[in-house]
Amino acid sequence: MEEPRNPSPKRPREDEDDYVDAIPRKRSASHSPNASPNYHLAERPARRYSRRSEDDSDTERRYYRERRTRSRSPSHTRSSHSRSSSPRTAAPPKPTALHYTPTLILHGHKKPISCVKFSPCGLWIASSSSDCTIKLWSALTGTLEHTLEGHLAGISILAWSPDSRLLASGSDDKSIRLWHTSTGLAHPTPLLGHHNYIYALAFSPQGNMLVSGSYDEAVFLWDVRAARVIHKIPAHSDPVSGVDFVRDGTLITSCSHDGLIRVWDTATGQCLRTLVHEDNAPVSSVVFSPNGKYVLAWTLDSCVRLWDYVEGKGKCVKTYQGHVNRKFSLSGTFGTYGADAPGKHQFAFIASGSEDCAVWLWDVSSKNVLQRLEGHAGAVLSVHTHPTEKAIVSAGVDRTVRVWRFKEPGPGTQRQDGVVEAALGQGVNGDGMNGVGGEQEHELPPYPFA
Amino acid sequence: MNLSLVDPFVLAQDCPEVIAGRLRSGHSTSIRFSHRGHLLASGRHDGIVVIFDIETNGVARKLRGHTRQVQSLSWSTNDRYLLSAGQDWKVVLWDLQDGSRVQTVRLQAAIFIAELHPKDHMVFVAALFEDQPVLVDMKDAKNHKPDIKQLPSAPRRSQMERENATEKQNAQDAKQTTTVTVFTPSGEHIIAGTNKGWLNIISTKKHEVLYSTRLTNNIIVFIRLTPSGRDAVINSSDRIVRTLHLPDLTNPKLDIDTLQLEVEHRFQDLVQKLSWNHVSFSSTGEYVTASTWMNHHIYVWERGQGSLVKILEGTKEELSAVEWHPFRPFIAAVGVDTGRIWLWSINQTQRWSALAPDFVEVEENHEYIEHEDEFDIQPLQEIHKRRLDQEDEEVDVLTIDPIKITTEFEAGDLGFRMPVLLDIEASDSEDEVVHIGAGQYRRKSPGTGREWMNDDEGGDAAGNGTTAVQNGTKRRRAG
Repeated sequence: MEEPRNPSPKRPREDEDDYVDAIPRKRSASHSPNASPNYHLAERPARRYSRRSEDDSDTERRYYRERRTRSRSPSHTRSSHSRSSSPRTAAPPKPTALHYTPTLILHGHKKPISCVKFSPCGLWIASSSSDCTIKLWSALTGTLEHTLEGHLAGISILAWSPDSRLLASGSDDKSIRLWHTSTGLAHPTPLLGHHNYIYALAFSPQGNMLVSGSYDEAVFLWDVRAARVIHKIPAHSDPVSGVDFVRDGTLITSCSHDGLIRVWDTATGQCLRTLVHEDNAPVSSVVFSPNGKYVLAWTLDSCVRLWDYVEGKGKCVKTYQGHVNRKFSLSGTFGTYGADAPGKHQFAFIASGSEDCAVWLWDVSSKNVLQRLEGHAGAVLSVHTHPTEKAIVSAGVDRTVRVWRFKEPGPGTQRQDGVVEAALGQGVNGDGMNGVGGEQEHELPPYPFA
Repeated sequence: MNLSLVDPFVLAQDCPEVIAGRLRSGHSTSIRFSHRGHLLASGRHDGIVVIFDIETNGVARKLRGHTRQVQSLSWSTNDRYLLSAGQDWKVVLWDLQDGSRVQTVRLQAAIFIAELHPKDHMVFVAALFEDQPVLVDMKDAKNHKPDIKQLPSAPRRSQMERENATEKQNAQDAKQTTTVTVFTPSGEHIIAGTNKGWLNIISTKKHEVLYSTRLTNNIIVFIRLTPSGRDAVINSSDRIVRTLHLPDLTNPKLDIDTLQLEVEHRFQDLVQKLSWNHVSFSSTGEYVTASTWMNHHIYVWERGQGSLVKILEGTKEELSAVEWHPFRPFIAAVGVDTGRIWLWSINQTQRWSALAPDFVEVEENHEYIEHEDEFDIQPLQEIHKRRLDQEDEEVDVLTIDPIKITTEFEAGDLGFRMPVLLDIEASDSEDEVVHIGAGQYRRKSPGTGREWMNDDEGGDAAGNGTTAVQNGTKRRRAG
C-alpha cells in the first residue's frame, strides 16, 4: 500500500509489527524500576504525563535506527508470509488502508479527557474529564448538549446503558453516578460501596446490571434498579483497570495492573478463566470482541493482545504493536470496515489510543496498521467507534474530542480535507486509484528513513 | 456464552439441587417465568403484580391494577405483554414497555386460569368458576367492548353415545364446567380439563370440542404443556399426576376422531397419599415437578423411566406454585405461609485452577517429567519473534454463533428489552424487608438507603453530598 516514493516520516508502516516485536522486552527492561502499577494508574488523567518524554523518545529513536539497519530482510520475509497465509477471498478485495478524516474537534473540557464514548443509539458523544465534568455532545453536529456536574473528583470512566437513557460515570470520589441523558440530571442515588477510585465500568446488555472495577482491587456487580451490590468479587491483587460484559451478559471480564485478565460468570460471580502473559505487564484495559469469543487487552508494554479465552487455558492469538503505551490506561475498541452488512466481506479493525498523539487502527487478522489518525496534541487516551456509522471518536490529554469519519478514497477528496489528511493521505490516495487488489503482490516499500 | 467455560460436570446436571436464594416482594401467590427466562412475574396477595429480574434478583417493575389476589399469569411470546387474572374477576393485559394497562376485561365469574394466545397477545382463553370457559378477543379497542365467546365444556360424544344418552347423562354433561384451559403452541387448539375428569381438545376457530377423553373421575386441577406442545402434565384431585403424549394437532392428516390418548405415567405417592398443589415440566419436558399439599417438599420425577429422582426440601413451609425456568436447571416455588419465592439451582463450586492458569487440578500425584528443551535458555528476542510469527491464524471477531438453547427464537434475538426503572424498590413502602445480598434479607431500619440524603436534603440534581466526608482522603491532584 505504501509507495516507495512516499516521503512522509509519519506514515504508518506495514512492517511496523515486525521491527517493534522486540520492543516490549526492551521497554520492560528499561522501565521496570518504576513500572509499578500504582504509578501507572495514577498517571491516567494526565498527571505528570510528559515526565520521561525526552529520554524515551531518545531511546526509541536510537532503537529504531538500530533495527532498521539490522533487520530489513527478515521483516520482509515474515510479512510476506503472513500475507500469503491470509486467505484471499473473491472481490471485493480486503481494503489495506482506511481513510478516516477529521470532521469535528470539540473543545470545552478544562482538563485532560479520560474517556469518550458514542451512545448505543449513535446520537450522542459523552466525554469525561479530570475536570470533574461529563459533557454530552451531539454526535452529528458536535454541539454541546449538556455538561453533567456533580462528581467531586476526576472522572475516569463512562458507560452507556444499552437504551442510551442512562450514563454511568466512575470517579475518583469513589462513587458511581447515573445520569439521565435526556435531562442532563444526575440520578439522586449514587452507587456507593467501593473503597477507592472507580476505574472501570460496564453495563450489562440488558441494562439491568453494572459492573465496576476499582482501585480497591475488587469488582462489584450492581443491580442498577436498586443501586445495590449483587456480588462483591475480590478479583485482583492490584487496582482493577478494566471490565466488560460479553454480548449476552453471561460473562464478565476484568483486568488489573497485576497483569491478569480474568473471566467471571455473571450469575455466580465465580472465576472461569485467568489469562496471563508471561511478561506479566500491567493490563490497563480490556474489552470483549463483538461476537464475544475473544478479549482484547491493552498492556503497558505497548502491546494490544487478542486472547482466545475459551481454547485450552486461554491463548494469545494476536499481538498488535506500533503504538506507544507505557504509562496511561489507554483504551480502544473494535470497528468494522469493508461491506456495510455483516458477512464475508465485512472485516474488523481495532482502534486504540496511543501516547504518540495518534489513533491507531489495526486489521484484526493481519495485524497490519490500516491507518494512523493524527491530529491530537497529546496522548490519546480513549477511542470509540460509532455503533452503526463509520465514525470514530477520540480524546485525550490535549482536552479535545475529535470525531473522524470514513471517506471513500477518490480523486480530489483528499485535497479538500484539510491539513491532517494532507499529512498522511497522499500515498493512500495513490493506492486507492491504482486498485487495492494488485497491491498485495508488492514488495514492502523501503523504509522511508533508510 | 459462559457454557464453554463452565465445568462440563456442572453442565451435565439438569436437575436443581440446592436452594439458591429467595425473592421477596409482598406475599406472592402465583409465579410465571418469561419465555426468555430473564424475568419472573409474581402475582401478589394484595393484587400487585411484581416483575422480578432473575439476574439481579431484584424487582424490575410493579403493576398495580388488581384489587384482590392474583390467580394466574401468562406471558406473550415476545415477553412484552403479561396477562394477569385476579380474584376480583378481572383479567388485565399489561404492556411492560411502560407498565400500562392495555386492556382490562371483567368477566362474570371468578377465574381459575387465563392464558394468552401464543400468536396473538390480544386473545386469551379463561376457565371460570362454575361457568363455561371463554375465549376473549380484546382487539376491538374502539368501544372497549371485548369480544367474549363461550366455549363448551361438555365432552364430545359419538353419534351412538348421543342416541343412547339418558336424560341423566345429558344433564350431567350440561353441568360439567371447565377448570383449566391452555393453548397449544400453535394457538389453534385449546386443551381443557373439566371438573368431571374429562380432557377436551377445543378448536380455537370453531369453538367446538373436537375430541374428549376421560382421564379420571375427579376434577382436573391443572394442565401444563411442554414448549413443543407434544406432552402434557395433568394434575387432578385424585392425587395422581399424569403425563401424556399429545399428537401433532397442527398436522392436517391427523384424524382426530380415531385419536386415542394414552396416559404415559402416573406419578403418585402411594405411602403418604400426598396430593399435589401445582405441577410443571422442566424445560425439555424430561422432568416433572410437583409441589405437595401440607408438606414442604417438591417432588421431581423423570419421564424416561417414570421414577422419582429427587425431593427438593429445605423450605420451612408448604409450597404452592412451582415453575421451571424455560431453559436452565432452575426452579422457583412460592411459599404458602410467607409468600416468598424460593429458588433452587445447581450448586456450582469455584474451580481454583481457574484462578491460577499455571496449575491443573489432578486426581492424584504425577511424577513430573521435564521436556527436553524445557530449561534451555533462548534469546528473548527469538522467543518473541517466534511467538509473533505463530499468530498467523485468521480470527473472526464479528460472526455471532447462533445460540442453541433458544432455537424457537431467532439467533441473536434478545427479545423485548424492558426499560430499566431506577429506584423501583425504594418507591415501595409496603416492603418491610430489604435484600442485603444473594438470598439474604433483613428488616428495613428506618432511613436505610437514604444516607445520601443527609448531606443535601434538597436532593438537587447534582447531589454532591455523599462524598463530602471522603474529601480528607481525596487524592492529591497534580495540576
